[in-house]
Amino acid sequence: MTADIRVRNLVKHYQVADREGGLRASLRSVVRRRHRVVRAVDDISFDVEPGEIVGFLGPNGAGKTTALKLLSGLLHPTSGEATVLGFTPWGRRREFLSQITLIMGQRQQLYWDLPALDTFLVNKAVFGLEDAAYEAQLDQLVNLLELEELLTKPVRQLSLGERMKAELAAGLLHRPRVLFLDEPTIGVDVTMQQRIRDFVTRYNAATGATVLLTSHYMADMKALAERVVVIDHGKLLYDGPLAGLVDRYAPHKTITLHLERSVDRADVSVYGEVVDADDLQVRIRTEKAKAAAVTARMLAELPVADLSVEDPPLEYVIDQVFRRRDS
Amino acid sequence: MIRRLIRIASAFFRSALQEEFAYRGDLLGNVIRSVLNLATAIGGVAVIFSHTETLGGWTLGQTLSLLGIFVFVNGFVGMFMSPSLNRVVEEVREGTFDYVLMKPVPALFLASARRFVVWHVSDIVLGAIVLGVALVGLEVRASGWGMLLFVALLVCGVAIVYAIWLALTTLVFWFVRVANVTMIFNLFFQTGRYPIEVYPFWLRQLLTFVFPVAFVTTVPAQAVTGRDPSWLVWIAPVIAVVAVLVATRFWRFGLSRYTSASS
Repeated sequence: MTADIRVRNLVKHYQVADREGGLRASLRSVVRRRHRVVRAVDDISFDVEPGEIVGFLGPNGAGKTTALKLLSGLLHPTSGEATVLGFTPWGRRREFLSQITLIMGQRQQLYWDLPALDTFLVNKAVFGLEDAAYEAQLDQLVNLLELEELLTKPVRQLSLGERMKAELAAGLLHRPRVLFLDEPTIGVDVTMQQRIRDFVTRYNAATGATVLLTSHYMADMKALAERVVVIDHGKLLYDGPLAGLVDRYAPHKTITLHLERSVDRADVSVYGEVVDADDLQVRIRTEKAKAAAVTARMLAELPVADLSVEDPPLEYVIDQVFRRRDS
Repeated sequence: MIRRLIRIASAFFRSALQEEFAYRGDLLGNVIRSVLNLATAIGGVAVIFSHTETLGGWTLGQTLSLLGIFVFVNGFVGMFMSPSLNRVVEEVREGTFDYVLMKPVPALFLASARRFVVWHVSDIVLGAIVLGVALVGLEVRASGWGMLLFVALLVCGVAIVYAIWLALTTLVFWFVRVANVTMIFNLFFQTGRYPIEVYPFWLRQLLTFVFPVAFVTTVPAQAVTGRDPSWLVWIAPVIAVVAVLVATRFWRFGLSRYTSASS
């Protein structure tokens, strides 16, 4: 099977006006602007297979959104190639645009003063959907997103989370085969984030659509993406399963000990790096491969009341990834 | 393709109607505004003609016909053109223009025929009434040919307005804060309340060749009131076609800049 998304050596540079603060600098910049080149996407290559959910991970300004915009045809690249469903995105062919969608958590397309259903009807006309196909897709979306009650309320009366659900529906009415989701869970509460995640999973399972999503929330990545692509400063740092990311950048476990009586700190530090310690609780970081042996030794040699072994939190892993690059 | 676009435009029109009905208070306010605007304009003309018999060679009746055309076109622009194009400026600033570009429909069409402010229909109706009354007063006998010419010239005028507005809107791709396209446009467009002959030579040239407002009101009014049509009548279609071509090419150029430069 050929890849739904194929990216080769994609590069996007921007010219941005650069100036110092202050009125004088502002005035000078009106006449003569100094430009600086920002390498938003810098030689990135990867493939996404049909039906895959891939997470785009990176700090703010890493180039995630630029990459999504390139792949959805909103931007022309500086160099490099990409195909999505066999089309060159920035050719912006009608057949291409009819089969993809871009949904941005921070930007809305729904009519503010009208019920979401009216935006849906406009999109039905814009995408030239047949009545039957529209009804079927709408039914499916209403079910998956539990939209029933929201459809007939003016959008301005919806909560942020409800609005996001309606936005998702508006962007999916034409049954796109490839979904670009840019921070779909941003700003909504934890319960709603969970629901949106469930929706993406179920929608992907039900339709086989390919999903490329960006998010700041690690929970999104854990729940949705079997595979992540990590970019920073426009460069691809990692492409592979989420678990592999942990192995590569944080190949250790954290062992938390509850002790029956306090122990000299020096006695503990022989087992690994002490992360923090107080009277009766100690946390130790140790290499993943040694974790089992270390645990056994500690149980034998220390007055252990309770013990737990954990993977480092994903937030920590990501932090490691970006720190390593900066140094 | 055309049928598809008409279907899409009518979907937009329906939602525009619904949006307007969401704020019913606007209806009355807009009608009052239309009537007051018109009263002021007619008052202005009346004041001028209390001092003189003709204005740049135009009689009272002819000048009122021209005013009727102005109010009509103004209403038409307010109903069909400025809402969509103003929306483009907002959307580029807010970043939601991306959603427009994601639709499998030509961007120029979506930029031009997406929003409608229905209540401007009051201007359209009032303008037509003023024109009609003035023409009756002038005892103009409309021949079929004359009416056809008038309508054709009006179409040219509206096309020119569209081109100007589109070109001004396109500036947003360079200067994200084209804060007030409407204001720049109106500055020139308001000169169309009076026949072009009242303005000094340099402004006449400006309003004929650079910002061709002359073709929007003066030229159609010449044709319909039976004044000697100037040679401008014959180049109106040329100017209209050229203006629309230049503006749409400029739009495409601006759009390609947007899609290669925005973040």
